[in-house]
Amino acid sequence: MTDKRARFVQTTVEVEGRTETRVVEVPAFEPAPWTADTPLSIVGTSPLRVDAHEKVTGRARYTADIVRPGMLHAIIVRAPIAKGAITSITLDGARAMPGVRGVMGPGDAPPTTRLFRREVSYFGQPLAAVCAETLEQAERAAAVLAASLAFDVAPHAVTVDDAIAADAPRVRSAGNTTAPDVVERGDVARGLSDAEVTITREYRTPVALHSALEPHGAVCEWNDDHLTIWESTQGIFRVRKDVSQALGVPQAKVRVLKDYMGGGFGAKNGAGAHTYTAALFARTLGAPVRCVNSRRAEQTDSGNRPATVQKVTIAARRDGSLTALVLDALIPLGISGWEGGPAQIFHEMYACPNVRTTETCVYINASGMQAFRGPGYVEGAFALEGAMNALARALQMDPVALRLRNLATRDQRANREFSGNRLDECYAEGMKRFGWPSTIHPLPSALSRVKRGVGVAAQTWPTGGGPPSYAHVRINSDGSVDVLAGTQDLGTGARTIFAQIAAEALGASLGTVRTVIGDTERLPYTGNSWGSMTTPSVGPAVRMAAEEAKTHLLEAAAQMLDVPVETLTTRDSQVLSSGVVQISFVELCKRLGNVQILGRGSRGPNPELAIVTVGAQFAEVEVDSETGVVRVLRIVAVHDGGRIINPALAESQLHGGIIQGIGYALFEERHIDRERGVTLNANLHDYKVPTMADIPAIDASFLVGADPAANHIGARGIAEPPIIPTAPAIAAAVANALGVEVCAIPLTPWRVLGAIAG
Amino acid sequence: MQLTVNGTPRDVDPSRSPTLLAALRDQLGLTGAKLGCDHGECGACTVRLDGDLVYACLTLTAAVEGAQVQTVEGLADGTTLHPVQQAFIAHDAAQCGYCTPGQLLAATALLEKNPHPTDDEIRAAMSGNLCRCGTYPKIITAIRAISDGAAAGGAAAGGAAAGGAAAGGAALSAGGAS
Repeated sequence: MTDKRARFVQTTVEVEGRTETRVVEVPAFEPAPWTADTPLSIVGTSPLRVDAHEKVTGRARYTADIVRPGMLHAIIVRAPIAKGAITSITLDGARAMPGVRGVMGPGDAPPTTRLFRREVSYFGQPLAAVCAETLEQAERAAAVLAASLAFDVAPHAVTVDDAIAADAPRVRSAGNTTAPDVVERGDVARGLSDAEVTITREYRTPVALHSALEPHGAVCEWNDDHLTIWESTQGIFRVRKDVSQALGVPQAKVRVLKDYMGGGFGAKNGAGAHTYTAALFARTLGAPVRCVNSRRAEQTDSGNRPATVQKVTIAARRDGSLTALVLDALIPLGISGWEGGPAQIFHEMYACPNVRTTETCVYINASGMQAFRGPGYVEGAFALEGAMNALARALQMDPVALRLRNLATRDQRANREFSGNRLDECYAEGMKRFGWPSTIHPLPSALSRVKRGVGVAAQTWPTGGGPPSYAHVRINSDGSVDVLAGTQDLGTGARTIFAQIAAEALGASLGTVRTVIGDTERLPYTGNSWGSMTTPSVGPAVRMAAEEAKTHLLEAAAQMLDVPVETLTTRDSQVLSSGVVQISFVELCKRLGNVQILGRGSRGPNPELAIVTVGAQFAEVEVDSETGVVRVLRIVAVHDGGRIINPALAESQLHGGIIQGIGYALFEERHIDRERGVTLNANLHDYKVPTMADIPAIDASFLVGADPAANHIGARGIAEPPIIPTAPAIAAAVANALGVEVCAIPLTPWRVLGAIAG
Repeated sequence: MQLTVNGTPRDVDPSRSPTLLAALRDQLGLTGAKLGCDHGECGACTVRLDGDLVYACLTLTAAVEGAQVQTVEGLADGTTLHPVQQAFIAHDAAQCGYCTPGQLLAATALLEKNPHPTDDEIRAAMSGNLCRCGTYPKIITAIRAISDGAAAGGAAAGGAAAGGAAAGGAALSAGGAS
């Protein structure tokens, strides 16, 4: 079957809300889709995480646990100012310190790495680096080097207001703002004039920091001209490409390895300053080098979710049908970055004929943004869902009824059918579980100090995944199975679910299947683990590889057993003929000896359909009107992600998104001092991520079903959607409790008290 | 100077590793305790010192001569996992796993002092250990399961060696499926 000549076609793939057109190979065959009715015995069940044992014994090795013989330690010296230029720097003092083996400063790194420039454009920018025999020696030398720096300090702008002021300092030579990106459908002016109710609000969202507990880090080692990199990354092939381009080394001579990683959340999608610093020192010093961000560096310069200022006008008829949605957004990206876009969800979430969004990105003297779980949609949903809830109050309509009134039954942005979209069922199931609307609290008594409220919000997110992604399935001579795919497991459970998919397709028992990931040299290509893409991108390739391996295995079995291949099937690592067990995989493979049974799979093109994961969340809160403290009491979340490969692991993803959403709603905000331009809370004490004490009762689930129109395993992505509606649902509950809206997050006591005071 | 680490006397040189975390990781090769913040904010480096929970990143090596140190590597009894480890596996209480060693030691210490904690006591006792993946609800479930004497699911799972999905198999019911 593999001799069929491959064709190449164009397909569209949505990555983090951006649509890309790619030319991709059409697989030699596509297995028949697993529909909702296909009897599956391993996929859809919740076997334990295959790597849990390593994780609970401390044997799982993360990047900073890698020790190489003679390994040195590098530390990056970062800018203490937000804008200016280095006027003086002394490397010799640091170089003379005990144990120091190397120092790099301005001009010492290839311009392609963008490292160690004299011009400073944000606090925390890498300016120099030291490398020593121990981390402590490197730290001491870094302090000496930092003390030698002198600057010509220039005026900076670290807030939107400062960056767009008439006399603002130039953040970037091309200007401080991008040209406004206006996207309109329908006739917004007409929609506004047709409206019977119009509401305008300004929403503000904070800069949020990924705060993965494992900081960015790399260990680099050269053997002759071949570079090996151990990196905590969501994209091993992307790191290989970045390093290859920046250092001028062929990809064939760069090997990127990633075994375990301590979270990513979007910030670990490519090589970074730590990677280049380790690679450059390792090359010049002839020894392996480890470079891991300190927590301060991690919270200062490893990416962030940019803030937004969103002016929203929402217009509707008295019956609740939307006539116009208008968004005018300012997005301070930092010194660089792309725009995930609060606008996208305005075009996709509701059936509204007239929508206009205007996004203007603003450059400020702060570290550049990186994708952060649901980029753009999280920010946009806070404004859009907040406006929907405000509209519901104005119309005196149940906010769920308002949403159902405007339910998108077709993809609004590109006017396509959905592969599957059961948002209406998510509302219904969520209402049932939450007890909506009977738990909606009456307007709060002026006398009671602690007030309760409930709220709802919803989400959509493109989760189709797509090609190119490849996988191999190899059956060993003892009947055990290797799934080989150059993907990453961020803690999501990729190792587990790909073993499940391969075992299901092959008819192998799950315990005999091992997933091998995280090696660019030995494994077939897959893309980054971003955009909730890994399951729907790699999953079909794994299934196809397993199906092909099964075909080969059965052809061999047919020869050995002298029966027609059409009569053969597999189950629990056994070959059956007409339903009767004939031979085990173990025995069959033993007899085959070193004949290798190998299946190759690739991800086919996407259908001409909108593929989204949707859901609704309900929140109940308690607000102390004297202290302004908000406590989330419970969250009910129901999402539709097509087929769920492993419900227990998927539930863990829901918990993770919701808990990060609680942090975004209540606590998390990077603070930069406006006068000095420095980050004030670059640590985990003052940048508040949720602790166990902050967590409410969470009832989170996916609808049972499958989406065979999306791809042949019927699964969509699930990791990012659950963070999207959490903050607006909590904000709606706070508004319900207090009778006043708080349109800026996080909902800190002073913001809540400010809103109460009017 | 000497320490007893996971029941075995070990020599460490405090001048090479100012903090206990560095001594454990760099000199003794015990990398289960993680560096997350280096400032006692996240709990990834949590170990037990003479039974008490400490942040190893804030503990000076020179100050703990002769002490009994327990790390995650010392939780299991040979190949038999500690009940807390078994419960964490059974209830999917580790996602990326980076905070897990610290969470396990904090949970163990809690259950030794208070075998039947209320949910509020669990939340208070465990709030010094951050998890960014959001495993808190499942950690609570795991601790509660031990407290209720119902960590049986973990016994089967824990017995399975690395890659023991097979044995654990369908033991976990479809957690969040509606």
